[in-house]
Amino acid sequence: MNVKGSSIDSDFAGYTGHMSQKFQVLRKEKLSMKKNNKKISRRSFLKASTLTAASGVFLSSSVLAKKADAKILQVWSCGGLAEAFIPANKEFKQKTGVTIAYTGAFAAALGKSLFGTARTEVFAPRVLELAKKLKEQGKMLWYKPLCFTRYILAVPKGNPAGIKSIKDMAAPGIRVVLSPDASPPGGKATIIILKKSGIFEKIQKNIIFNGDCVLRTATMLVNGKADASIIEQRITRHPDFSGKLEIIPIEEKYMPPPPMTFTIGLMKWAKNPDIAKAFIDFILSGDGQKHFEHAGFIPANSSEGNRLSKKYGV
Amino acid sequence: MGCKMNRKAADAGTDGTNPANKTRLTWIRRLSQIGMLFIIGEYSFYGIFRCPFAIPYVNCTSCPVIQCPGRWMVYPFWISLGISSLFFGRSFCGWACPGGLVSGLLSSLLPIRQKIKKGLDRKLHLLKYLSLAFCLSVWLLMSNPRLAIPIRIGEFWESVILTFQHADNLWLARSIGVLILLVAGGVFGNLWCRYFCPTGGALEALKKLGMFRFRKSDDCNQCGLCTKKCEMNTKPEEYNCTDCGDCKKSCPSGAIYFGRSKLK
Repeated sequence: MNVKGSSIDSDFAGYTGHMSQKFQVLRKEKLSMKKNNKKISRRSFLKASTLTAASGVFLSSSVLAKKADAKILQVWSCGGLAEAFIPANKEFKQKTGVTIAYTGAFAAALGKSLFGTARTEVFAPRVLELAKKLKEQGKMLWYKPLCFTRYILAVPKGNPAGIKSIKDMAAPGIRVVLSPDASPPGGKATIIILKKSGIFEKIQKNIIFNGDCVLRTATMLVNGKADASIIEQRITRHPDFSGKLEIIPIEEKYMPPPPMTFTIGLMKWAKNPDIAKAFIDFILSGDGQKHFEHAGFIPANSSEGNRLSKKYGV
Repeated sequence: MGCKMNRKAADAGTDGTNPANKTRLTWIRRLSQIGMLFIIGEYSFYGIFRCPFAIPYVNCTSCPVIQCPGRWMVYPFWISLGISSLFFGRSFCGWACPGGLVSGLLSSLLPIRQKIKKGLDRKLHLLKYLSLAFCLSVWLLMSNPRLAIPIRIGEFWESVILTFQHADNLWLARSIGVLILLVAGGVFGNLWCRYFCPTGGALEALKKLGMFRFRKSDDCNQCGLCTKKCEMNTKPEEYNCTDCGDCKKSCPSGAIYFGRSKLK
């Protein structure tokens, strides 16, 4: 057993010795291959990385150059002006190649942000006082009158309740919808108009909905769920309501005090004041103002606009 | 028989139960989710980050945010969702919802994972019905008030920042809460989808009407491998199953199938 075992052991030892030699040869070959591979891969890596870096620098520099060339003007405005600014901005871009980065939202909120750390190059707020305060703080360099709003009596198309004037809103059976908690398109201005016209108390029994959103109020009129409401004229030009509502003018003596005025001003952060001024000039020109008239505003650049500018002391 | 099953289970475990091993169906599902992200992702984004209403995705036609695709998408979206639930149960959650995609991706990316015990899971899943009832009552009984100032139009991030700056505390609580729950889903596995999503709650209630769904036959031996594989920690036909089909290959008895009615 021992003899046999020892012969097996020696055979095994011989075999392992032979194998270890073979393994060593293989290992050397593998190492040299690895070395060669390493050299090649390092070289190709360096080549590739140089090429990548070069193309990266070229691409990024060209992108940056393009960005620097691209003229972008940041414009903020009262959200109510959005329907006028959107096509006006497009037209300005077609004429000058300058892209307008436009934000439209509740002007008081935007104003609050501007009194804080926010910045913009051109600002068109609704409240005249806001423009004045921004100017006092040196954040707005100057401002000009842009347009005016007008409150009207709105009724569904065909005027099924036969309303002729604001006084008729108090007639028995008339369904009135208001949005006193909404922002200015409805808002508290409607209450002032009703109080000034002397029907605020009488109308209470006719009010079927007091909401916080003027778009909902207008929707109720369009759907025939209500007979009358007081809203800004511009709401009747909204794509959802255009042609679906009839307008009955309200006498000017019932109109609420400001905010009726929209202004447009140059901010101190304008990177390129010439472009900002060119934009304001365009907006106040006939080409720009037509968009505001179309959206239901009274353009500042009109005889009525001039009269209102004087009246409100813009 | 038991040994045979265990062996099968072990085999399946190497392929199916490890969440890292994706089946072809899972990849197709991910592609579907990415495709739907292109279609409804923007709408989803606006609902969380810019919708001024207390309950998003429902008052879109009277919303002043001009840029939101919900203004034209709201009716097609809800009608398609209703039809999809009649055909495929709650599959919207697993195959189309951008929130589900984010939650699923976070679950597979985040290294920390905590399991919620089945008993607690069974109770918590009822919260989404409560969430649905709450949303319906705010929408229908309280006229869905506006809790944030709508940024009607604006640049992407600037508008989001302005919305957050000028929103009510309730709106902030709503939006930040949803975001936290979505991110926490990465640790606790689809936390928002499993317990809080009101749309998920509505689809869960309707899913029994779904004609074509993933089901399990009588061959099911309750080994639980499908639950391990499932992002929602459930089994086919049980609560929270979104008919994603991820579990199909994990079943050692081949008991999971896609079809109309129960196999005998």
